[in-house]
Amino acid sequence: MVSDLTTDHVAALAAALGLPITPDDLVEVTHRLNALVEALEPLAALPLETIEPTARLADEPPAS
Amino acid sequence: MTAAGADLAFLGARQLAGLVRDRKVSPVELTQLYLDRIERLDGRLRAYITVLPEAALAAARRAEAAVMRAEALAPLHGIPYAVKDQFDTAGVRTTSGSRILEDHVPTADATTIARLNAAGGILLGKLNLTEFALGGTQQFPFGQPRNPWNLDHDPGGSSSGSGIAVAAALCAASLGEDTGGSVRSPASFCGVVGLRPTWGRVSRHGSFPLSWSMDTPGPLGRSVEDAALLLQVIAGYDPNDPLTSRAPVPDYSRALGDGVRGLRVGIIRELTFGADTQPEVREAVVAVARKLEGLGAATEEVSLRLVPLAGAIFMALADADGAGVHHRWLRTRAADYDQGTRRRLLTASLIPSAVQQRAARARALLRAEMLDLLARHDVLLCPTAHQAAPPIAAARAAITTRHEAAGRFFTRRSYVTPAALAGTPAIAVPCGFTRSGLPISVQLIARRFDEATLLRAAHAYEQATGWSKRRPPETA
Repeated sequence: MVSDLTTDHVAALAAALGLPITPDDLVEVTHRLNALVEALEPLAALPLETIEPTARLADEPPAS
Repeated sequence: MTAAGADLAFLGARQLAGLVRDRKVSPVELTQLYLDRIERLDGRLRAYITVLPEAALAAARRAEAAVMRAEALAPLHGIPYAVKDQFDTAGVRTTSGSRILEDHVPTADATTIARLNAAGGILLGKLNLTEFALGGTQQFPFGQPRNPWNLDHDPGGSSSGSGIAVAAALCAASLGEDTGGSVRSPASFCGVVGLRPTWGRVSRHGSFPLSWSMDTPGPLGRSVEDAALLLQVIAGYDPNDPLTSRAPVPDYSRALGDGVRGLRVGIIRELTFGADTQPEVREAVVAVARKLEGLGAATEEVSLRLVPLAGAIFMALADADGAGVHHRWLRTRAADYDQGTRRRLLTASLIPSAVQQRAARARALLRAEMLDLLARHDVLLCPTAHQAAPPIAAARAAITTRHEAAGRFFTRRSYVTPAALAGTPAIAVPCGFTRSGLPISVQLIARRFDEATLLRAAHAYEQATGWSKRRPPETA
């Protein structure tokens, strides 16, 4: 499914976070946000549910 | 003096350190040489935000006195270096490339700066960067940094000045910071060596943050041995950064000359042969593989199915971290950001949490795939960038569709972000030039904490070719 956030959606999200956004910024931020969500849509087809999203690696460096 | 000025300036940090130790070069003469070059060339290149002539010359005079007293000398004794203006320097303005911090003067050095100074380095100044190390700056507050190979082209970022200053011999070596390619990209576009160490190998203390789980300082130099030399100085546990490793730091120079015979090299298929990689880049990187084979390495193609998505995965995670860092200023000082920075941070602030969570899980999967490949190969090989340095104007064009946004932001990042997402070390090494005379760079990636093998492979290639010895036309 193609992401289709509108400028109204994005303006509302920004307002909810207290982030000021100019009309020019709003148009480009909407393009950027839609591009990111769309680029990551292929991930929905991967079996990610069982993968723990930890940022820190558990493996230790090799002994020297 | 044993060499004419420009020849001396282009020698590597290790060679210069030897000349200082042998009293063949004076630290004062060397420092003045680089200051003169900065004065003559940096008006066009804009590598520096702040130059420190008085402090540098004072340090050089102390270094010279120590040489004359025949004191034991540290590895960087008398060597002029420069750092990205993202690292705190006591008493010296540290802007992070932003108007928001244009009057910020830290009271203490970042750990990396303290270690470089303790090793005898002479700080020449603070280097230009994309605002807050984010990339995508439209109007640089402290001047547009330019590529010394062609002034109309991008020098790469975010450590733009770190790449320019090394390529143009405006310092002996430099320090950058790499969250998702910010050392390797400028190294690639400027034709120098850039090393991203293993995450946790080098302290982040005193460096303005972007992403907690990916930021790492890293050196840039005119040779692999210089990158090894600087890593030796800055690596190691720091109580001020509890996520640094306590593992002992090996001697990175010891195995540099051991060659690549018997090393197993995996060529990442999606990044080397993918449609986004420009033909000149692909040819140059394939030639690297052939050269390594000729030197005794065993190569084979390998696949990392998630790497085409790595750029987007990275931005969903690192940019969201950055949005958290900047949230207060975005609310109160939005107009003080560059337009490109502000739009990137606003976008990151609005990423749905479901998308972030999915990206975080995909990161773990990509990391597992990379570590699995690295269990069977000593190093992985691919281009550092899908193209040589693009024109500066291309980065300033307005974004009018989501497809333009995707093309601008995700493709190029997919080449440098896999190592960042996996926490592995990676190095960018010059491997040729386009027909228009711009540098091309190959990237090698190794196991976590195995910088020794990474540097060894890169050094063997470098010694067998000599691309690093070319000088940019704008630096005579």
